[in-house]
Amino acid sequence: MDFKDFELIYKTNRCEIKDKQKIKLKLSEAVGKKNVSDDDIDILAYTKDATLITLNWSIQGIIAGLPDFITYPETPEQISKILKLANEEKIPVIPYAEGSGVVGGAIPVYGGIIVDMKKFNKILKISDKNLTVTVETGINGMNLERYLNAKGYTSGHIPQSLYTSSVGGYIAHRAAGQFSTKYGKIEDIVLGIEIVLPKGDIIEFKTMAAASTGPQLEKMFIGNEGTLGIVTKATLKIWPYPEKRALLSYAFPTIEDSLEACRNILRKQIYPAVVRIYDDKETKRHFGKVKENVMVVFVCEGNEKLVDLEETVTRKVCIENKGVDCGIEPVEHWFESRFRVKETSMFPPYKMVADTIEVAIMWDKAAELYYKVIEETSKVKGNLLISAHISHFYPNGVGYYFTFGGVPPKDKSDFDFYKECWDVTVKTVLDIGGSFGHHHGVGINRAHWMAREWGKSFETMKEIKKLLDPNNILNPGKIYESIWKEQGGVS
Amino acid sequence: MGIFETLKKYKWMVPLISNADRDIKRILLKNVRYKKKNFFPEVDVKADVKNLINCMLCPNMCRFDCGSLQAAQKESMAPAYKARIGYYLTMGLIDPTDPANKEFINLMYMCSNEENCKIFCPFEFSVVSLLETVRDDINDMGLMPDYLKPMIDNLHKTETIEDHNIYKTYKEKGIKNIETDGNDEVFYYIGCESMKFPEVVKANIEILNKAGVKFSTNLEKKMCCSGPMFNIRDLETGKKFAQKNKELIESTGAKIVVSDCPGCVLTLTNSYENVGVKIKTPIIHIVEYFKKLLEEGKLKPEKTIQDDLKKVTIHDPCLIARNLKDTTSIRAILNKIPGLELVEPICNKENTHCCGWSGTLHWADKEIAIKEASNRVNELKETGAEVFISACPLCELGLGYGVQKEEKEKIKILDISELLLKVI
Repeated sequence: MDFKDFELIYKTNRCEIKDKQKIKLKLSEAVGKKNVSDDDIDILAYTKDATLITLNWSIQGIIAGLPDFITYPETPEQISKILKLANEEKIPVIPYAEGSGVVGGAIPVYGGIIVDMKKFNKILKISDKNLTVTVETGINGMNLERYLNAKGYTSGHIPQSLYTSSVGGYIAHRAAGQFSTKYGKIEDIVLGIEIVLPKGDIIEFKTMAAASTGPQLEKMFIGNEGTLGIVTKATLKIWPYPEKRALLSYAFPTIEDSLEACRNILRKQIYPAVVRIYDDKETKRHFGKVKENVMVVFVCEGNEKLVDLEETVTRKVCIENKGVDCGIEPVEHWFESRFRVKETSMFPPYKMVADTIEVAIMWDKAAELYYKVIEETSKVKGNLLISAHISHFYPNGVGYYFTFGGVPPKDKSDFDFYKECWDVTVKTVLDIGGSFGHHHGVGINRAHWMAREWGKSFETMKEIKKLLDPNNILNPGKIYESIWKEQGGVS
Repeated sequence: MGIFETLKKYKWMVPLISNADRDIKRILLKNVRYKKKNFFPEVDVKADVKNLINCMLCPNMCRFDCGSLQAAQKESMAPAYKARIGYYLTMGLIDPTDPANKEFINLMYMCSNEENCKIFCPFEFSVVSLLETVRDDINDMGLMPDYLKPMIDNLHKTETIEDHNIYKTYKEKGIKNIETDGNDEVFYYIGCESMKFPEVVKANIEILNKAGVKFSTNLEKKMCCSGPMFNIRDLETGKKFAQKNKELIESTGAKIVVSDCPGCVLTLTNSYENVGVKIKTPIIHIVEYFKKLLEEGKLKPEKTIQDDLKKVTIHDPCLIARNLKDTTSIRAILNKIPGLELVEPICNKENTHCCGWSGTLHWADKEIAIKEASNRVNELKETGAEVFISACPLCELGLGYGVQKEEKEKIKILDISELLLKVI
């Protein structure tokens, strides 16, 4: 096969490897011959991740990025050797595990060496007393959760991508599961990590429930998206498998009513594991005709008495805020359908471009953010759909999940239309004072907004990157660089 | 999903489209009208293009349970990637006739047919069912991988996929043959692969004898069911053997056919029907028949099981658990064995994992198939039991490959009949 037949999206500033045979030989020395490939069949497999626009490209025979080598290391020491070689030769290294990222984090935009983490898939230890599990980070989320469930535990981290993502990916992109109101985001769940730094040093942050030993440096690596190091091992919190689960749903006349109900539930220190508000469009889409406009589903789980109390308080507050009891059916429907994703397959054959954008906001501007994003994104020419659900709740704020979808107008490519929808949404969120990302990370799609999101502290962040990775070999083109901007068309 | 359900499900889109600007509506309508032209092949193909697209654009929701991916640990074995390559080969985006693209064709055979992907598929198909349609086109182009061809040649020469007729080895293996008198209650249909496990065949014969069943084995006339042809997609050869097997089965006058191989059961029923050959005689797996004999009191487990076989775990064969949808018969038999302690593995019943030896993977890449087998062995070892009970010769073959050399003495892989025989 000749890759020149495939159009390549990210093709500027690709790394130049003069002697590929030499590099392949050196990589083989680092990880063993069987753990290196430059075969076409492997190369093509790593040209995309799960970013939705790459699906539109896929069906057209277009590839996003083109790696030069794929490696399948089995130990942190082997990763260290790859990184040392990459520094000597100035070749980018891109960590990859399950490829479920949706912001381009695993796309090899400048070519280089893919470090596939799939062989780091062992569950090393469960400590019942400490309620922890120690794993290698390439392990698939569902394979971990299934094992934990069989042993009587849950990780509490159940994202919609559970079947198709890895623990390393969660840590890299600061992910959240759908049960996060009770169990927290991944940064709340990780207690200790082992990481290979860009220059090849292997360091470990020991597992501790809490400590006061200087700044929490390990937190810097949660959400680093493979730019500051590759996390190889992690110890996570686990919980006894819930003894009771209560399913509740209420429909509300407006988004404001539903937000008020949820805010007051959390204010009373009641933390249902799952809280999800669907706007009118998504209510119709997921639950059919409902008299009131806005459906909210709750799942309370854990200790039986606590669940009973959570259920009682949740019901009371919902009713006080004009909620109408809709029974357990909508929640059962959510449980049955949450992993059955068909939409990603339906739209590209019609050249429709769609995506989801998750953002965060404090309570005081939660309703305003919703209306403003809907208003602004609706103005994008060609955008047919803009809807939202609110999927993550905290005592102090929420995480939104916007969905857009449409067809590019005649004068626009699918990519330009896609970028415009993204940028309008992100800009609106930043203008209001929200955060542009809640749990998918920065990747390529939002890198050009980092200076606005972080302000002056972004300069500090860049200094840290420079210090740890002076040759910029670890996952370049993400977070710190604005590839979209460089390619034009972005504000 | 039927058309009514589809319309109902996507009704929410109607107002969105009707509110759109006229030029956008026009573009959308054009995209709908030109969908086939844009993304489907211009010529007739056998490949299921619609579902290849559905699969390649899915976020790989079945990947965690794909045995071949979990064994290979390479993205190029991911289910959606296999569909993507199937689509590219079909569309000519990757030229199947270019010898440099041989590995892409090979990928179409890298599946162990376990079909647990189907459980998690939002479209409710299995990946292998798509790959088979791509294989049909590959065959039509004369591009079938060379390593598959000896199986076809052997079948024509020896009537089994081995280089000799394995059924004719029954005497040297001490298996008693019973030829039909045309008036049998049961035709015990022995699988080719089962002939590699003579102790299992002998146990089945003895159990049937103990239950007083009038049956035949017909090993002098016996031939392969041609199951592998349906995987390789040589349907012409498959159909030829379907006719031959139909004649043999009908000649026995048996009221029921029981086979020790679930692959044979599925071939004799589903695969034959797909090429227009219908056998009226009921065909079931032998565990279902043994369960019935136990319920009828024709088999009585009375002896206590020997100490070294007391603690067992079950390896549900994919073909029995998922395709024949029977997870109760094996357990019903085991539960009747006095003194037996059964420890279930984490992935069991319809969520069982493959032994690596079904489908075409073990021909396409034996190393990955062995890794898949060793992954399953590790899951079974996790139960703490050292006796693995199964009911499929392919599983016994695969699991055998999966056991490390140094564990061969310790771990016992037994067919359920071998255990049952010890207690009746």
